[in-house]
Order: sequence, then structure tokens, then C-alpha cells
Amino acid sequence: MLQICSLDVSVDNKKLFENINLTINDNEIHVFMGPNGVGKSSIANVIIGNPNYKVKGKLIYNNEDITNLSIEERSKKGIYLISQTPIAIEGVTNAEMLRLAVSEKNKKPVNIFDFNKELESICDSLELDKSFIHKDINVGASGGERKKIELMHMWMLKPSLVILDEIDSGLDVDATKLVAKSIKEYQAKYKASIIIITHNSALINTFDNYFVHLFENSSLVKSGDKKLAKEILSKGFKELSNSFVISENDENE
Amino acid sequence: MNKLLVSDVIDLKSGSYVLECQSKNLDINIDGDVTIYLLNEKMDNISINVKDNNILHLYMFNNELNNDLKVIINQNNNSKVYYNESYLNSHDRKLIIDNNMLGSNNESIISIRNISNKGDSSIIVNVLVDKKTINNIALESIKGINNGGYVHVEPNIICLSNEVSANHLTTIGSLDPDSINYLVSKGISLTNAQELLLNGFIYSNMDEYIKKNNGGE
Repeated sequence: MLQICSLDVSVDNKKLFENINLTINDNEIHVFMGPNGVGKSSIANVIIGNPNYKVKGKLIYNNEDITNLSIEERSKKGIYLISQTPIAIEGVTNAEMLRLAVSEKNKKPVNIFDFNKELESICDSLELDKSFIHKDINVGASGGERKKIELMHMWMLKPSLVILDEIDSGLDVDATKLVAKSIKEYQAKYKASIIIITHNSALINTFDNYFVHLFENSSLVKSGDKKLAKEILSKGFKELSNSFVISENDENE
Repeated sequence: MNKLLVSDVIDLKSGSYVLECQSKNLDINIDGDVTIYLLNEKMDNISINVKDNNILHLYMFNNELNNDLKVIINQNNNSKVYYNESYLNSHDRKLIIDNNMLGSNNESIISIRNISNKGDSSIIVNVLVDKKTINNIALESIKGINNGGYVHVEPNIICLSNEVSANHLTTIGSLDPDSINYLVSKGISLTNAQELLLNGFIYSNMDEYIKKNNGGE
């Protein structure tokens, strides 16, 4: 699915990451963790092809080098990001945007009846008011509603690699459960790969198995399974970092 | 919806009207709760008199007709004016609106959206709140996009009375790159994303009638 090979990332001549190597296979869930400001969102933006980031190294997606592809080309290949703070767009409704995106993806006009039926059913499952379908994108929507609207887009566009950048931030307990359930159902239905960027356990605890990657000091410092997430969440980043230093010193001795 | 072929002067009572103009100069007297649609009508001068206690909703859309236009709106007492104009220009164009609040307890909201594809687009909006008047509300919302051309705005509110609420919002810029990236990240081509944003902008102050009859939806 996705291979990140020797990736260096910088923005405005400031180095963010160096030599990141990571493989995400089909139907796998990977959790990116790390202290605030370490640049986890930047990696998400690099994967979708945000032109503001300068990259060295390679990104291989489904055996194809996508390092130099645009956002548009990557999204057409099924890479999709739900950002931490989805923007609002005045004058463009969710229905208008999705009709265009779905018709471009399928290379044929949408059947309006089927399209509306599918959208309404998605709204029901997300407990999202159907009126949002014909409202401007994220305009007048609360933080929680925006996350649900972005999930509505995901269900309609059916991407194969979904990056969720702190989708659980600002959600109440019930909304977090509902969002987690929706993501789990999506992953199961479409066998999608999911990257979750989070600081909380509520969302990742929904999944039985997942991989965890800890980012610190411009590097990917440790990878593991759900045990690593538990360790991070119980000890905190600082204590865990110190333990890495101690163990490295022990090795040197 | 009433479709009317109009010449120089017309009195309109409560209702919705689509005006097709035979003359480039038009005087309109508003008597009631009136909605007017002017869709791609090439006008030079429009003069509107809103009588006491009456309401005007005006929607004007102009797709690259590029003609200069002067609009004069006079309000007396207890009237409301909701003026919405959107246009695209591909040559120089000058729009001047004079909104005179001559009495008290009036409300006026002037909303203009302009995409300048080529040439200079000059938008001058003068709202005058006359002396010895009270409780008038004046709002101007003027937004322009430089899409190859240039938009120039002068939002003037002249208050000769102390008891008035007046505000104006003016923005001029290009298409927001974050909005373009957002749409493109959903799998929409760059050209279609830009078109979607421009359409969304230009129709954002128009109602359903204009959108449906001008390809906005």
C-alpha cells in the first residue's frame, strides 16, 4: 500500500523530519503519536501532497512512485486526509462538491436519486442532520459536526488510505464513540488502510490490532504494537524518551 | 412570479417581479413588500424610491455585460432595502450606488460580489444618513475577486446623524489557496475546483431564482 522511504521533510527551510522509513500495508491501522508540535500533521500533509512541504526521499503507493504527484493526483488514487480543523467554504455545498468529486472519480455523471439516497443513509449512520447535505461546506457547523461532515465525504469518496489527524480532538464521549464506530465500519467494509494521529486512547481502543509509531526530535524513534500506545499513554512522552536514552547508553557501555 | 416588460417608469406593489427593460434608464417606485430580479439587463441608470413602511429585495446579476451603472435608492421612513448585486466583468466597469436615507427607522443592507476577469472594476457605494434622522441601520458588504482583472472599492458611509448604526465590510483578493487545496484533496480537478469556488462566490448573495435561471446550480 504505502511505503515511506528515507523521507526528509522541511518547510520554509526548517527541517521537520529526517530519514523516515515506514511501510503501511493494505487493511492495516497505524497510529502516529508524539508530543505537540513534533510535526505529525506535517507527515499527513506530505502524504497527501501538500505543496507547502519540501520532501526528499520516496513515497511509494500501490507500487507506484507518487513523490512528485499533486494533491489532485494522489486523491484520485485514493489518499484522503481529514484534517484537525477542517476549513469552511462559503458558497459551495457538500452536495455540489461531492457530486463533482464522485462524477470525476467514476468518470460519469452521478445518478442523483442513488446519490441522495446514499448521502441520507450516511447522515443517519453518523447522526448528522440531513440539512447539512445542502449546506455550504462546514459553514456554521460545530467542531464535532465538521468531523462528521468530513466522515460523510469519506464514505462517499471511498478512499483506500485514510489519514485521520486528531479526529477525536474536541469531540465529546458519545461523538467519539460514534466516530470510532464509523471508522471501524468503513475500514472493515472497504479494507482501507488507516493512519490515526491522536493523543487519546478512546479512538484507538476501538480497534483490536494496530501499529504504533512514536515521533520525536525530527525522527521516528520507535515502532511497535498496541502495547507501545499503552506505554506512551501511561508513562508520557518525556519519561519514555528518557528510557530510550538510558537504554541506548547501556548498549554503548 | 410576475414577468414585466418595462420602459422608463414603473410602480410596483407587493409581489415578486422579473423585469425585462426596454430602456437603459429606469425609475422604480416601491409600494409594498417587493422583490425585483434583474438578470443580465444592460442598464445605465436605475432610480428607486422606497415609500414609507415598504420593503425592497433586489437581486441583480450581470454576466460580463461590462456596462457602467449608476443606482440611486431613496428611503424615507420605516423602509427596508436589501440590495444584492453580483457581476463578472471582462472590461473596465464602474458601478456607483447612492443610497440616501432621508428619514428615520430605515434599514439598508447592500451586498455586492464581483469577479473581475479582465479590466478594472470600480465599485463606489455611498450611503448617506441625513441629519435630524434617528434609528437608521446601514450595512455594506462588498467582496471582489481579482481573477485576471482588478477590483477597486470605495465603501462610503456618510452619517450626518448621531443616532445611526452603520458598518461596512470590504474584501478584495484572489481565490483562497487553502480552499483550492481542500477541494482538490477531495479528488476534484484544479480547474473544476476553481470554477466551483468562483461560482459559489458569485452566487453567494443571490437567491434560488437567479441561481436556477442563470446556471448557478
